[in-house]
Amino acid sequence: MKILGISAHYHDAAAALLVDGLPVAAVQEERLSRRKNDSAFPLGAIEYCLDEAGLEPEQLDAIVFYERPMLKFERILTTALRTFPRSYRAFPHAMKNMLGEKAWVRGIITSQLGVPGKKILFTEHHQSHAAAAFLTAPTERAAILTADGVGEWATLTVGTGERGPGGTRISIDREIRFPHSLGMLYSTFTAYLGFAVNEGEYKVMGLASYGEPTMADAVRKLIPRTADGAFRLDMDYFEFHSTARRSFSNRFVELFGPPRNRYEPIDFSTEEGRRFANCAASVQRVVEDILVDIARDLQERTRLPDLCFGGGVALNGVANARILRESGFERLFVPPSPGDAGCAIGAALFADRIHFGNPDKPFPDHPFWGPLPDGAALARIAEEDRMPFDLVEDGPLIDETVADLEGGRIVGWMEGRCEFGPRALGHRSLLAAPHDAAMRDRLNRDIKYREEFRPFAPIALIEEADRFFELPPGGAQLARFMSGVFPVRSEWRERLAAITHVDGTARLQTIDRAFSPRLYDLIEAYGRRTGIPVLLNTSFNLAGEPIACSAAEGYSTFRRSGMDMLVVGNTRVRKRPKGAAAPLEMEEVA
Amino acid sequence: MSAWLNPIQRWVWRDPVRRGHRLLRFAEVEADGGRDLARAAELTQDARLRRLYLRHAQDEQRHADIFRRRGGELLRAHKGEAGWQPDWLAPGERGLDDVKVERDRDGALLAFLHLSEAAAARGFGIYRNAVGDDSHTRDVFARILKDEAFHMKYTRHELARVAPKKQGWLLWKARLGRLWKGYLRFAVALGGLMGGILLTLQYFILLPVFALAAKRAERREPQGWIAVKGMGNRGLEGQY
Repeated sequence: MKILGISAHYHDAAAALLVDGLPVAAVQEERLSRRKNDSAFPLGAIEYCLDEAGLEPEQLDAIVFYERPMLKFERILTTALRTFPRSYRAFPHAMKNMLGEKAWVRGIITSQLGVPGKKILFTEHHQSHAAAAFLTAPTERAAILTADGVGEWATLTVGTGERGPGGTRISIDREIRFPHSLGMLYSTFTAYLGFAVNEGEYKVMGLASYGEPTMADAVRKLIPRTADGAFRLDMDYFEFHSTARRSFSNRFVELFGPPRNRYEPIDFSTEEGRRFANCAASVQRVVEDILVDIARDLQERTRLPDLCFGGGVALNGVANARILRESGFERLFVPPSPGDAGCAIGAALFADRIHFGNPDKPFPDHPFWGPLPDGAALARIAEEDRMPFDLVEDGPLIDETVADLEGGRIVGWMEGRCEFGPRALGHRSLLAAPHDAAMRDRLNRDIKYREEFRPFAPIALIEEADRFFELPPGGAQLARFMSGVFPVRSEWRERLAAITHVDGTARLQTIDRAFSPRLYDLIEAYGRRTGIPVLLNTSFNLAGEPIACSAAEGYSTFRRSGMDMLVVGNTRVRKRPKGAAAPLEMEEVA
Repeated sequence: MSAWLNPIQRWVWRDPVRRGHRLLRFAEVEADGGRDLARAAELTQDARLRRLYLRHAQDEQRHADIFRRRGGELLRAHKGEAGWQPDWLAPGERGLDDVKVERDRDGALLAFLHLSEAAAARGFGIYRNAVGDDSHTRDVFARILKDEAFHMKYTRHELARVAPKKQGWLLWKARLGRLWKGYLRFAVALGGLMGGILLTLQYFILLPVFALAAKRAERREPQGWIAVKGMGNRGLEGQY
């Protein structure tokens, strides 16, 4: 069967195509449109997926949308009614937003793809998250936890999954409903701390390491626990359900103080800066505590060794590591794209395995389902721009790149198909030596143009990772898609200063040879040369831009940043030496 | 921008907090414009244009940094909430607006860029004069105006190169396109306003009864975990 999964309209639109139960292609729309977190109907992503399989839309057996739009509409309308008359400003906005496009998904898909409406199916939002987490994990039986801001009504669900020759089953047993939401709590603090919601949550997590959870009790006032072990939000502190203006109330401000002006840099030497860091640390601690409690309870009830965790909250690597250490589960699986983009895969898998009852097939354990970069295109562009470039065989390329990295150069590394998900996992990465804090500062200043408090991630050989990082059992697996934050061993922190966060941790990615052979060889060679088989790995993009996907995008990023060299496949481009003449056209025009 | 707006501009730019916020908004617009130009560089097949677009993109990014720095300085020096922000009176910087980099061919894009840069340069010239005795902000605009002059020059020069016979027509088409977009902006804003009024009326006239029922139903809802019945057994055909 040929099944297309689609997620769209809120954040991070994506498409994924399954043919006979296996993925052929999956890509976020932002990687093709170059608009970060592009939420538009993912026509470009759909075209790419169909092209990759050589299919026309009419050849598809089913198109599965990742949530039920009318159920979502019901929630939005009901929320407006419940908050009457405070919602008088939000209501017109929400209705125009919903009725403009988002409620008519079947019609949009029918008109855009020219397929009959009966081929279009709808999963529930958290079904899609659960399927994306469980059906892509290398396990046959597992507990399932999903948590995000909100889907239709559910914000957090728990259940179990089973797959094998006897069929596939995903059973969601219970849920917590909007407005009570861990994701909304975290997003409210994201907004309060002056960061963009749905984008700045990473920043809150990074900022948390600079603070102490001195306000955890105050945060707990916002989210009291219920007698059955769940939680609710005290809505007196929030406004996200009643107004589009802001997500926290005046009472929230009375409790935590004035919100941060997003244009003001955070200065940890000031009381105000420390207050914001403590706020971040406090909400991080409370969210972790609740997730660990819920996971522990789930483990006790199911007695299963494996947990699959999906939804945007599963991007919180610090919480994931605590769940693994403290909940009793032996293994924790977080897919490479646990957020809404990943629902495109989840929806397609759910329809294939459960709705159509097709036999289970192991899902390839990697995230590389996007477009390939074209090394020849890079060579052509470099030649036209008179940039120094060469074509190098793998062996010398690896040896010379190791020498460049050791010499303090920052390397743009593009190979193979683009990652599906928010993280660069080695196919669209900027690589650098992980040893000096100066490298971190240079990356922040010359390339990423981002806040100083945000850490950079390491990538390490799976066989050697335990030497440098304190990994709990199951930690190396969790780190496969950079889903856990672990302590750097104290004896290595000084020599891994560029990737060690202020609290001594790092968001590690472990790599085995099958995952990405050439990158593995590069790290291994770097280890042979320096004694430390670890590199700094950060996403190949500039601030405000999605990860570069094609060679031309890589080149544009390379030219506009302080990157020293760019490798696309076997094509390598270097920056022109300082003082070398630029092409003449600029002067001619000027 | 018409000269009759000058007194309004002076009034708008007089307040340092408002000035700071406006510069910060300009910074975002410039950064967006830089990204559009980088996209144009990635898509064009013309090597010379690619180099120029990349340089232009870097200029826009630099402008964004300059605006952000000065806006931040102003806000730090003059703490307080910005007063009324009458952007609709003096719309100011629109950057590259809603340029369709993917759709437009080089000639059309260059014509559009040329007009946008010319409009931005006129605007910055007015703001430079409107900021009064704030010499730092005046210097910011003066520095950026130099770059704008280059951008206007290269876009015109390149337009003549890539479309020597159609350049006049492309410029007129771009002018008409800007007018059309202006009209669309106005129409969308007006439609939004009218829709908002109608929906607000409906909200207060139709919803109160249902709101009462919804509030009563909410009080009966259990807190905490809710058992899920039948999830996974429901068909996937329905949107509801």
